[in-house]
Amino acid sequence: MAFVAGVASAQAAPEYTLVIRDHLFDPAELVIPSDTRVKLVVHNQDATPEEFESYELNREKVILGGRKATIYIGPLSPGTYPFFGEFNPRTAQGKVIVE
Amino acid sequence: MLALNGFACGVLADGLAIDKVYHPYVDPLAWELEWRVTHADYNPASDIDREEVHRFGLAKAVAPELMLEGYLIAERSANQDLKIEGYELEALWQLTEQGEKSLDYGLLFELEKERGQNAWEGAASLLLERELGRYSVTANIELGYEWGEDIRDEWETGLALQARYRYRMILEPMLEFYLGEDTVGLGPAAQGNIRLGGMKSLHWQTAVVVGVDGTTPDYTLRGLLEYEF
Repeated sequence: MAFVAGVASAQAAPEYTLVIRDHLFDPAELVIPSDTRVKLVVHNQDATPEEFESYELNREKVILGGRKATIYIGPLSPGTYPFFGEFNPRTAQGKVIVE
Repeated sequence: MLALNGFACGVLADGLAIDKVYHPYVDPLAWELEWRVTHADYNPASDIDREEVHRFGLAKAVAPELMLEGYLIAERSANQDLKIEGYELEALWQLTEQGEKSLDYGLLFELEKERGQNAWEGAASLLLERELGRYSVTANIELGYEWGEDIRDEWETGLALQARYRYRMILEPMLEFYLGEDTVGLGPAAQGNIRLGGMKSLHWQTAVVVGVDGTTPDYTLRGLLEYEF
């Protein structure tokens, strides 16, 4: 899985990686800590653009084909926050699980 | 975006100061087709009754963090039929990634000209937004200047505040406050998004802003429809 969790530094937001490949998110489930702002690096390995979208996370971000984008999310309360790819909503789906 | 006449978003020179609150974000791929309208009760400051301002805009990002929008502005009132009164160009510049810092920042630049007159208005606004759980608070702080042979040269300032609760995508209750030249208004508002499929969506807003001093219209209604494609 392309889930590379890790804390970049003691003060920086914990960083996670999400890959878009074949119009799917990998991993489809991302577990992050509660009450913590995290940095999500989304790498779109497809040739076409995708839009990470989540009303629950209050985020919309376009990632061009073959490019990376950074999305900051949180701090969040424990729960499940779905997201999807607006350009391929039937396949590109996932959720952030806050514990 | 904020034009001001006092300050708050988009307004013909010395017209209504209540218009719209801008957010410091740019969608880099979408086109936006916008119509918005304000309808004010009798305005003691301008002596205009039932002034209505319509804006028809088309927006497109020209860079990942920069969006341009052009407007045609039409007005009517109790004594005037609807007619094109001006033109406006706006540039919205997203300065920070959403959620990256404690505040999200953006800048808005506006240039407006009244049709058939030598009357210009330029403005720059600082856009600030803070997310607090399911709430978001937005501030627009504007500094503008009006000039030309057909208008009094003057500096103007303005402030617009909006608090929003993300209840449902199709319905988000809000509270708005506007402060500008001859304007102090406060009132409830709401907005929502309707997904239309195929990367198309419809965004709507509505508000009732009540004047809280003697120079602001007793009420100003505002509405917005924005088709994104």
